[in-house]
Order: sequence, then C-alpha cells, then structure tokens
Amino acid sequence: MDPTLISLWILRILFLVLIYLFLFAVARVLIRDLRSASRERSVELGRLIVVASPSAEPAVGSVFSLDAVTTIGRDVNNAIVVDDQFASAAHCELTFRGRAWFIEDLASTNGTLWNGQPVTGTIPLGYGDEIQLGGTRFRLERGRSR
Amino acid sequence: MTVRPAALPPIPFTGIRPRLRRRESVLIALVAIALVAGDISLSATHEIAAGGPPTLGIADPGGLAIYLAVLLGVHLAQVLAGRRTDQVLLPAVGMLGGIGLLLMERLPQDLVTQTIGGRTFGLAEIQLAWLVLALVIIGTLAIVVRSDSWLRLYKYTWAVAGIGLLILTVLFGVEVNGVRLSLRLGPITGQPSELLKVILVVFLAGYLSENRSLLIEQDTRIGPLRLPPLPYLAPMLAMWAVALLVVIVQQDLGAALLFFLVFLLLVYIATGRRSTLVIGLLLFVVGGLLLYATIAHVRTRVDIWLDPFSDPAGAGYQVIQALHAFARGGLVGTGLGAGLPVVSGRLPIPEIQTDFPFAALGEELGLAGILAILGLYLVVIERGLRIAAAAADDFRALLAAGLSLVVGVQAFIIAAGNLKLIPLTGITLPFISYGGSSLLANALVVGLLLAISDRGVESPPPPRPARRSPRRLFGRPGRGSSGGAAAGRAP
Repeated sequence: MDPTLISLWILRILFLVLIYLFLFAVARVLIRDLRSASRERSVELGRLIVVASPSAEPAVGSVFSLDAVTTIGRDVNNAIVVDDQFASAAHCELTFRGRAWFIEDLASTNGTLWNGQPVTGTIPLGYGDEIQLGGTRFRLERGRSR
Repeated sequence: MTVRPAALPPIPFTGIRPRLRRRESVLIALVAIALVAGDISLSATHEIAAGGPPTLGIADPGGLAIYLAVLLGVHLAQVLAGRRTDQVLLPAVGMLGGIGLLLMERLPQDLVTQTIGGRTFGLAEIQLAWLVLALVIIGTLAIVVRSDSWLRLYKYTWAVAGIGLLILTVLFGVEVNGVRLSLRLGPITGQPSELLKVILVVFLAGYLSENRSLLIEQDTRIGPLRLPPLPYLAPMLAMWAVALLVVIVQQDLGAALLFFLVFLLLVYIATGRRSTLVIGLLLFVVGGLLLYATIAHVRTRVDIWLDPFSDPAGAGYQVIQALHAFARGGLVGTGLGAGLPVVSGRLPIPEIQTDFPFAALGEELGLAGILAILGLYLVVIERGLRIAAAAADDFRALLAAGLSLVVGVQAFIIAAGNLKLIPLTGITLPFISYGGSSLLANALVVGLLLAISDRGVESPPPPRPARRSPRRLFGRPGRGSSGGAAAGRAP
C-alpha cells in the first residue's frame, strides 16, 4: 500500500473521530446538566412576584416562594399578607395539585381577578398568569431550582 | 453540579461583570480542531487528485480562519456581556455550519456565482459571508434581547406581517425552476417561507400561552372524542389554513409539512391532549390523499418516491443518484473531496448544495458521519427543550420548545427525503445547506433560544385581559388604582 494513501485514510478517519469527540464532550455536559437538575428539583413549586401594590406591604418586585397551599389575604395568619384595604381577611387560596397551580376565591368581599377576569370556582393557572386582589397584583412564575 | 459563575472584575463605566464560559470555550476549541483536520484531509485529497504529492496544507486557510475567528468572537462577546445563556447551542451550531462550509469548499465553485463590484465570488465565499452574518445575528440577539414583550404583545401583528410577506411572494415573486418561492429585493433574493416558520412559532406560542387554561379546561365532545373548545381553536386553525393554502398555491410542500407538524406538536405541548395528535394525523392523511388526487405536482413527487426507477434519466434521476451516493459512502465514507466525480461537466445530483447536502455528506463521511450530524441536531433539540423546561413562564416555554422543534423537524424532513424514507420536499438542511435566507432564519431561531435561556431576563409585561368581557367586580377595571373604592366596600 502507498503510505500517502494510508495516511490520507487515517486523516479522514481522524476527522470523523474528532466530530464524535465533540459529540461525546457535549453529551457529558448534557448528562451533568440532567443529573444536577434531578438532584435539585422540586425545591420550589412556584413563585409569586408582586407587580403592583397600592400600599407598602408587600413591596412591588418582592418575590414569594410558594408552598403547596398558599393563602393570601389581609389577616396576619395568611402565608402572604396583603395590606390592601380592598382585600378580605382570607381572600384567596393557591393550591398545587399534581402538576399545575389552581386558584380559588375564598368568598372575598371584592373578588379576585385572574388575567382580568373574575375567579369563579377553581381555575387552573398557567405560569405567567396574573392575579389581582384589591389593587394588588401578582404574577405566577415557575419555581427555580436553587 | 452547577457552574459557579466565575468572578471577573466589572468593566469600568458600564458596570457589566464579564462571566467566563468554560464549557463553551472547550467545546469551541474541539470544533476548531475537528474543522481544521477536515480541511487538511480535503486539501490532501484535492492534491492527490491533481497528481501531485499531498502537503499538509489547508484547502482554504483564509475562509476557515475567518469562520473560526467569528465563532470565537461571538463567544468572547458573550463572555464580556456576562449573561448566563446556554453554553452548548453555539458550539453545536458552529460545528454544523463548519461542516456545511467544508462541503461548499469541496463542491465546484461555479455552481453559484455572484459578481459584486467587478469581483466574482464563488459558492464557498458566498456561503462564508452568510455564515458570518448568521453568527453575528446569533451573538447580537443573545446579548441584546432582554425582554420578550416585542414578540409577546404583537403576535397578531407578526402573523399579519408573515402572511403579507407570503402574499407578496405569490404576486411579485421570482420564478426559479417553475416555482415562485423567492422575493427579489435589489441584488438579494430571499425565501420568505424560511422567515415565516419563525413567525408561526412566535404567534402560536403567544396564542397558546394566553389561552392555555381555557384550552385545557373546556371540552367539545363529538362522540367518543374529546376536542379542545372550538371557539378558541378557530383563530389558530384559520392561521394554519391560510399559511397552508398560500404554501400549496406556491407548491412548497416541504414548508407545508413543516408548518403542520410544528403546529401539531406545539398544540400537543401546550394542552397535553393526545386527541389533538390523533385528529391531526387523521387530518394529515385526508389532506394528503386530497392533494394527491387533485394536484399534479404532489402526484409526481409521490410517484417518484414510490418508484424512482421507472424514469431513471428524468424525474427519478435526483433521487436515484442520491441513493447511489449513500451506497458509495458505506460505513465511513470516501473522505471529503473524494466522492461525486463530475460526470461530463455536470454534477450527478442536481441542486446538491441546497436540497441534497445530506446525500453528499453521506457519500463522503459515510454512515458514521451522517449519524454524527443527526446527533448534532438532536443536541439542538435537547437544549431547546431544556430551555423550555426551565423557562419562567408559559410563553417562553412554548417559544423555546417551538423554535427548537422547527429546526429539528426541518432537518429530519429533508434527511428522510434524501434517504427516500418520505417523498422528497425541497427544503434546506438547517445550518448546512447553501442559502442566505435559510441560514439567517435559523440564526434568528438560535439567537432567540440563547436569549430565552438566560434566567436573568426582564420579567414579562402583564398579560392582556382576555377578549371576552369580564363581569366587572370592581368599579373600574383598574390597574391597581383606587378605582375599586367606588364599587367595593372595604371589608
């Protein structure tokens, strides 16, 4: 065999091997990512971000990490206390059932709005949706891994 | 294990804190090494074919150097900007683009020529220019885009703009090979359907995220089937029908198939209903049979696919030559530059640079090579779906999933077409095929994916109130104003 042809063949195989080396390096990164994601999962079920608030409490921009059942209202026994004169003592409740969030109005005096519509019964929420009680507005976001 | 952000001192006057991207730099180095090795083997093959002894040179040192320098430049720009965007997408796309560049260097340069200012540019040079522009777009979008409200709020405007673009193409398009797909603007011709696929995904993501709860919550029952509520599906079906109609008028089957599959997958992702997939597939079968019965163009394509050997020198020529190319390639291929002899002055596979790069790579890199390329597309899809899973809200999640699927589905449609698994449709292989509009549209996709992948992006604007008018519980539908005071009484 001609040595130049053999070395050319080796060079061609080398190109393929290098492409696979790259894929292997990428696969390692992906697997590490997946492992870290599975280790850190379910730290946070969701988060509420305050978009608008007529009073100082809660402050606009503050973030609440949510438990599977989170009550919102004016009373200090709520998970999220809203100092809004148009919010009821126990105003509404967010629950995480299975894989999605639901909101329910707890017979509040002035009602709860979901994306501008009144909440009747139990309504499934999507991430990015907004809820409003009195003049206070929150946005629901997916929880972070850390 | 997560990457700790490497602490670098902030840049004076701007307050931006650069952040090292170790994984990306390692992967880009691997891309550079592989592409240089490929280019050396290409040049050695050329020299042996010319009769001389091979030197270990690089076939087109200038072109490859420019490409790698721009790739590195985009990486460094992201380091300086200090955003925490995805670190795998750019190297994966860089590898695909680089393989495409090597293929264009290897094909006869006079396949496509363009003369600008007295100088004539060949295939590889034009492709290089588009690739550089595509990388710059990726870097710019990844760094600059911090808010997605310009996509989210104007989804109907985008949809109208996209459809307008298609109608313009039908009316004023330039005919190439008897099909009106391109729009000419000065010296540049482009294919609007490439841009339309991005617009379609943006619109669907916006629409589905706004109406997701309603789509899941309610049912329309027809016999045993549970369908999503019809009033909410109507605008989407209308959008789909218009896009499909215009595309069928244009006879662009590949784009029609791509739009339909992406539409189905996104509706399925948003609602989680298997019934949508079943109904979609039924619609697809019915539509396919109707088109086969009525449109001659479709019938030819399907007949070629069923039996290309009935007309080996005419209609079936392209497909048969592609099959021969795969057969010649075997397991590890003939090597870059060693396949595809030019037969009596013409290439064995017509339109190889746009429609059949997969067959060319199958011949020269073999089964091992094309499996690696399919693996690279899988990596792009995986990253997109991971970005979607980590996105803070539904719009970004659907947008990321849709964008990565549009690239992945397109790659698999054309790869399957080249392999005669499905009838051939004339769409491009993302990042590898020759062509400006394809490269730029896919760069737009990757740039947006990178921008979404940053967890620190600006929070989305308030969703618009749903279109059906709510019963007013408050005196005025205020935005947190004291308007509630008028009607509500303080408890």
